[in-house]
Amino acid sequence: MTPGTAIAMKRSYRAHATILGKFLSAGCLGVLLGLFVTVVVVERGNGFGAVAAGPWTGWPRAGASDTDPYTRAILAYSGEISLSESEGMSFVAHGDSNGAEFDPACDYSLKGEIPSARFWTLTLLSPGGAPVANPAGRSNFTSSEILRASDGHFEITLSRHARPGNWLPIGDTSKFILVLRLYDSELGAPAAALDAARMPGLVKSRCQ
Amino acid sequence: MNQIDRLLAALLWLLGVLAIAGITHIVAVFALPEFAAKDPYVRISELAKPGQLTILPPSRPDMQVMPFADPAMVQSVCPFDLSQGGLRLHADVEGGRLLTFSFRTSAGQVFYSMTDLAAQQGKIDVVVLTAAQLEIVEAEDDEDDPSQDLRLVAPEPQGLVIVGALAVNQSERAEAEERVRSVACTVEQIA
Repeated sequence: MTPGTAIAMKRSYRAHATILGKFLSAGCLGVLLGLFVTVVVVERGNGFGAVAAGPWTGWPRAGASDTDPYTRAILAYSGEISLSESEGMSFVAHGDSNGAEFDPACDYSLKGEIPSARFWTLTLLSPGGAPVANPAGRSNFTSSEILRASDGHFEITLSRHARPGNWLPIGDTSKFILVLRLYDSELGAPAAALDAARMPGLVKSRCQ
Repeated sequence: MNQIDRLLAALLWLLGVLAIAGITHIVAVFALPEFAAKDPYVRISELAKPGQLTILPPSRPDMQVMPFADPAMVQSVCPFDLSQGGLRLHADVEGGRLLTFSFRTSAGQVFYSMTDLAAQQGKIDVVVLTAAQLEIVEAEDDEDDPSQDLRLVAPEPQGLVIVGALAVNQSERAEAEERVRSVACTVEQIA
């Protein structure tokens, strides 16, 4: 081997190594980026076909037999058994009507219309979906349980401290969410748009 | 290599990264239910045997079988394995009391659902079958006396039925459990 060919071989070896390095780095970075985007999308829980009305977000297609892959991945990640299409619909609120995230130190009042359904339930859960411990042992209301005014209207108060009327204790938690489920509702999967005025509002009152 | 060449090479490399990221993302989204969804359904299957209705314990702050479960809903689960025969579900329905049924694949995908409003003469009779079993059953049908069963073809041989009864107030929970328990879920031999 002449010194010239040795240098040439070394050069081509180096060139190959750089190309291989470029392929490998692009591959690794691509896979990492893809997984990162997937985790972010799934964590945020924003699938296609979400319907927002005021503070509430619902996924009318979640319980259908032809859900989109994103909704399916999000449901699989959370481990939730979504309500099926004919059972009803569920809505989640992470904050009040002004868009501010729930603060457990504050009182909130839920009032307004609830879309017509045979039954509805309102549940206070941790963001992970577990019930929140509280001394009153109550984490939900059903449509049959609430106290209504003579004109049929009602108000549910969310607070850490005991409140008169329909009191839903917030309990000792740093974060919470509300889930509104409408059973045998007239809103079905075809309801692509919801009017915020037809959903109950969540108003923050005093904070302690 | 001059500067433009370098820039083009870097751009090409970036495009490669983005393409791989896109493919990974799509694959991950499709693969996630296959891996993650197994978890809750494996847990359910551990609690219940095929062809047997088991009431899921209510969620408590320290222990939960199903995240995001509705505490007002008494839920029971009946897994099925159609390789051992069809699954028959029978329920007598009381007027005005909410009873829900959802038929799901082992990954939790709903393929059919109904509530007590779908009952005929106060009864719900559903048979879950594979396509091959449906052919056998249909061949045996008596034309003069048609069956009242609702026949569902499951997309895969394994899956589960979730039956739910709403307790409209906390004192009604025992009664709702009774309603769920009265639903019969049995394996039906198909000749």
